[in-house]
Amino acid sequence: MPRPEVRMVTLTIDGREVEAPENSMLVDGAKHGDVEIPVFCYEPKLGPPVGACRMCLVEVEGIPKLQTACSTPVKDGMVVHTQTERVRKAQEAVVEFLLINHPLDCPVCDKGGECPLQDISYGWGGGTSRFIEPKRHFRKPLALSPLVAIDRERCILCYRCVRYSQEIAEDYQLVLLERGAHSYVGTFDSTPYVAPFAGNIIELCPVGALTSRAYRFRARPWDIEAAGSICTLCPAQCNISFTVRDDRVLRVMARDNPDVDDGWLCDKGRFAYQAVHADERVVEPMVREGGTLRPVSWERALDEAAAALSRARGRVGALAGDGATNEEGYLLGRLLREALDCNDLDSRVARGPSRETARALSAPALGATVPDVEFAHAVLVLDCEPMDDMPILDLRIRKGVRRHGMRLVVATSRPSSLDPNAAVSVRFAPGAGEAFLAALDAALAGGDVDSAAGAAGADPAAVRELARLLREAGDDVVVVWGERLTGGPRGEQAARALLNVCARLNLRRDGAGLLEIPSSANGRGLREAGVLPGAGPGWSEAADGRDAAGIARALAGGELGALYLLRTDPVRTHPDRTVWSAALARANAVIAHASVLTEGLLEHATVVFPAESYAEKEGTVTHPDGRVQRLRPAIGRPGGVRAEWQVLADVARRAGLEIALPTGAAATKLLFEAVPFYAGLSLVDLAADGVRWPERDAASALDAPAWEPVELERPPAAPSPNGALRLGTFRPIWAAPEVEVSPALRFLSARARVELSPGDARRLGLASGARVHVSHDGTGVAAEVVVRSDVPAGSAFLHEAQGANALSSGEPRLVEVRPA
Amino acid sequence: MKLLFDRVDEPGLNTIDVYRARGGYEPLRRALAMRPDEVVAQIDASGLRGRGGAGFQMGKKAAFIPKGDMDKFLVCNADESEPGTFKDRELMQKNPHQLIEGIAIAAHATGCNRAFIYIRGEYDYVADILDGSVAEARAAGLLNHVDLVVHRGAGAYICGEETALLDSLEGKRGNPRLKPPFPANQGLYQGPTLINNVETLSTVPHVIRMGGAEYAKLGTETSTGTKIVSVSGHVRRPGNYEIELGIPSREIVYGLAGGPAEGRRVKLWFPGGSSAPVLTEEHLDLPYDFDSMAKAGSMLGSGSIIVIDDTVPVIDVAKWVAKFYTHESCGKCTPCREGTRWTLAMVERMDRGEATPMDIEIMAGVQDQIIGHCLCVLGDSMAMPIASLVKHFREEIEAHIEAARARREGIVSPDSPREQPTEATV
Repeated sequence: MPRPEVRMVTLTIDGREVEAPENSMLVDGAKHGDVEIPVFCYEPKLGPPVGACRMCLVEVEGIPKLQTACSTPVKDGMVVHTQTERVRKAQEAVVEFLLINHPLDCPVCDKGGECPLQDISYGWGGGTSRFIEPKRHFRKPLALSPLVAIDRERCILCYRCVRYSQEIAEDYQLVLLERGAHSYVGTFDSTPYVAPFAGNIIELCPVGALTSRAYRFRARPWDIEAAGSICTLCPAQCNISFTVRDDRVLRVMARDNPDVDDGWLCDKGRFAYQAVHADERVVEPMVREGGTLRPVSWERALDEAAAALSRARGRVGALAGDGATNEEGYLLGRLLREALDCNDLDSRVARGPSRETARALSAPALGATVPDVEFAHAVLVLDCEPMDDMPILDLRIRKGVRRHGMRLVVATSRPSSLDPNAAVSVRFAPGAGEAFLAALDAALAGGDVDSAAGAAGADPAAVRELARLLREAGDDVVVVWGERLTGGPRGEQAARALLNVCARLNLRRDGAGLLEIPSSANGRGLREAGVLPGAGPGWSEAADGRDAAGIARALAGGELGALYLLRTDPVRTHPDRTVWSAALARANAVIAHASVLTEGLLEHATVVFPAESYAEKEGTVTHPDGRVQRLRPAIGRPGGVRAEWQVLADVARRAGLEIALPTGAAATKLLFEAVPFYAGLSLVDLAADGVRWPERDAASALDAPAWEPVELERPPAAPSPNGALRLGTFRPIWAAPEVEVSPALRFLSARARVELSPGDARRLGLASGARVHVSHDGTGVAAEVVVRSDVPAGSAFLHEAQGANALSSGEPRLVEVRPA
Repeated sequence: MKLLFDRVDEPGLNTIDVYRARGGYEPLRRALAMRPDEVVAQIDASGLRGRGGAGFQMGKKAAFIPKGDMDKFLVCNADESEPGTFKDRELMQKNPHQLIEGIAIAAHATGCNRAFIYIRGEYDYVADILDGSVAEARAAGLLNHVDLVVHRGAGAYICGEETALLDSLEGKRGNPRLKPPFPANQGLYQGPTLINNVETLSTVPHVIRMGGAEYAKLGTETSTGTKIVSVSGHVRRPGNYEIELGIPSREIVYGLAGGPAEGRRVKLWFPGGSSAPVLTEEHLDLPYDFDSMAKAGSMLGSGSIIVIDDTVPVIDVAKWVAKFYTHESCGKCTPCREGTRWTLAMVERMDRGEATPMDIEIMAGVQDQIIGHCLCVLGDSMAMPIASLVKHFREEIEAHIEAARARREGIVSPDSPREQPTEATV
């Protein structure tokens, strides 16, 4: 959908000529003339205005009644008065009405000091009340959910939270109950409002009715400072503002960036800040002595690490993940390649496509932006679950469908939470993304769809329908896909099929293209910083090396002697848990940067450097759409924690490589010099909203030639279940160490669950909640059954939590499910 | 002159055979032979004004419905919930085919292919009658051009407000929508929608039968035609009467309905349902039509006259009005939700003897703060009659307050110390 062009109109507000965008509402138009019109219910992010609170009544010449400025579009020549006696009295009246049932308990209310109701009462209220009747009473405070408290007496019934639940998150849980003055916000049957994006209602509430249970009574607005940074808990990299009191993070709020997050946060992003101050956090360097990790001095930890690495020179592997910054990735690359003569480093969990193919996938001309998702004619969600993999993108996709008529098509193995919004949903066998793309490619090119669709276990008619829709919806098509699609031994072929599809749909154009969701928060940045086998900074050529799976095998086989883990624990996050356990056990040295001792590190790390939390970090990360964003420290580092760029440089120095780094900014400067398409960026440019590098001139440094469709290999057929089940694995949004150590979020921690179709469950004699053993070739994990009506028969989907990655391998496989 | 109520008590009129035998569905046949815009032109020429309350010209409304080939909806508002209004019930109960024919004609005129009768849930037995009649009309091939469904509401006054009705019909909570967009452009399921009251649509066959110009000769220049008036309250013969618009109000209250009982006089009357500002005895000589009522500071509304005689204290009337609208306020917009509750609390306090005449000022002020500031007209529907009661009967209310206070203070034992206002309590 092409973005609407903005035309300006001229109107008069309070005697001043004001230019405002056509069709904007008066409330917004007035801002162009520095006139503030008070509002409660109006929030453009929630969709069309509802005109419920009546706070914004103004006088428009030619219209006898006062009009709500929130719902009156500006027009050329319109004459508006916001300061007349009539308007003043009407606005005073609304404030008086809103306050008659409000408890006025500002001194004990969390919102006090940052409360729109307070501000508007001061600014536009009459200052007195004539109301002497009894106020309306409700029981309070109540837990609307374990995360959100509701005080119905403070509620002014502006509908924001209800509209949010109904129209933005589309979880349809919050409703208004009862009628008239008895109305109140709640859920059906008082079930807790638990949903991945529920916390946003706290920020939306213009009074103290909805408050964070984690933040309640922790601080007043005059105690706190706000510090803007980036959430690096997932690839969405939402822009956030830390609320800091006495060097502690007490709250996370959205820092509205329409190009990234649209001002929303998921509950993980909103509440997992608690991990920053969790007792479980590692705050001192540790060295394994007599089988256990013990705190030691920095000197000793650095010396031991450097000594172990130097001993294994030429035989060191490295992995980087999660919140590692571009600078850290770059320094890790230099440490490995230059100081230790090693080329075995990876930031992906499984082997990906070749450097050439990966470059083609990253071509700036083929990159789609986050807003493109909203304004596209059609979006294909391919082999990923945005709700789990990049949560905030899920809301953007819903918005595109709801507000701009975007056509959504979904092609996944596991039923998607976006299916109800999709025009077409196609299912294929777990791990058969390549075959599905081959079928789609054939459908778009007019070739043989049936054999590839058969190999994918997909319905050929549905693939054709999906292809037709993508062709006919319009020119702007965005493909949102997950890293797993091109991971594993057939990643190269899958990537080629994807590039074929892009070429056939002509996606090298503005408003269209690819948006990849990497499997770690800064996956794109780490790749661009050169944390890849065979690719240096900026996808430059580098000596070939082992990928993550190769590193595991080489460690287990004794070919590699040491492993450097930058913010990742492969035992927990990588496929083939068993191989990784063996690899770490065999390694002579495992040096890790970690903030929490997850299972692999607890058992096998020999040196642990305390990692910074995202609230303490400085540096840059790169959003999946290429936006380079800047992290700024919000608080000081606790205990003995040191900057990780500094730790990497110190280790490198001890291993014989001098990298002059007086400050963190110097590391950024080195990175920008090393990555050709980052050339010319500066931290100052990134200050507020970041900069999307594919839009800059320097992007030509990566420009890959247009892809010409190639002949595809015949994809291998998905294994036939034959009584067993095809295994699909996925990582739920709550499967993160930060969730487990945050007291507020702990109740949501992911558990090992296996989703079965009703037919398979019946055949196996299993019901939801049953404890089962899921196994393949002697390796098994315990899990709890969830029967889902939309799971395709013959497939089982395992949540990657509590060691369930023991079963995933990056290759399609069959599993047995038996009662435990 | 009787049109809508012509031989309304004829046995079996609710069956299609009897209705047809006296010429029913003949206007539909004629209308279907005309071009849609010709039918609209006839309705427009008749000057027929909406009988649901707002009095908007039906011809104008029908002309707002966009032309073109899309799903268009016609909704008959049968959620007759205004206190004192019971005309639609009798029209539907006794002559359902007249309404169905009106819907069929209007649907043809505006190109609506789907029609709904949204009837309040309390009229369950009437809905049963309509169900039967719709089935008869469909079987007779009279509804080939429109799909007509009878939908029962769940019992909320607000669902008579057209946009709340549409939300309710869509299966949502019945709350009014912001206007614009008006239903003619974006109504039911976001499609163009014509909404009219039962009586308005029941009049349509007569307009077509007589011709618009001929119909317009009835009544006054700006209030054409006949109107069913529901008369209730202190009259000897309450009920529905069909009158020609413009006859003196006294002729309805006294002539048709018999006036109050012997020895009593009309103290006040609501000319258009409980939401109309009240008038007094002196206004009884005004002609009963849209403009005269508006000029007198009230409105014809749904055409329901509620007569209150001199045995009733004004404060009781105010309490009854405030209670009804407080109960029925949907709660979506602030002035109505809070203003109705506050007003009721004040009126009750006045009656309990816990008020002073100063509270009348506050009450009147609160009404001013509601009127014209709400999302829909429900808030005004309480505030306007309450304000009119204060305007016409301020002295009586003052006296009532003082008397109630005296009574209440008399109850207090002379031994108990009188509470003196101190600095701390002021």
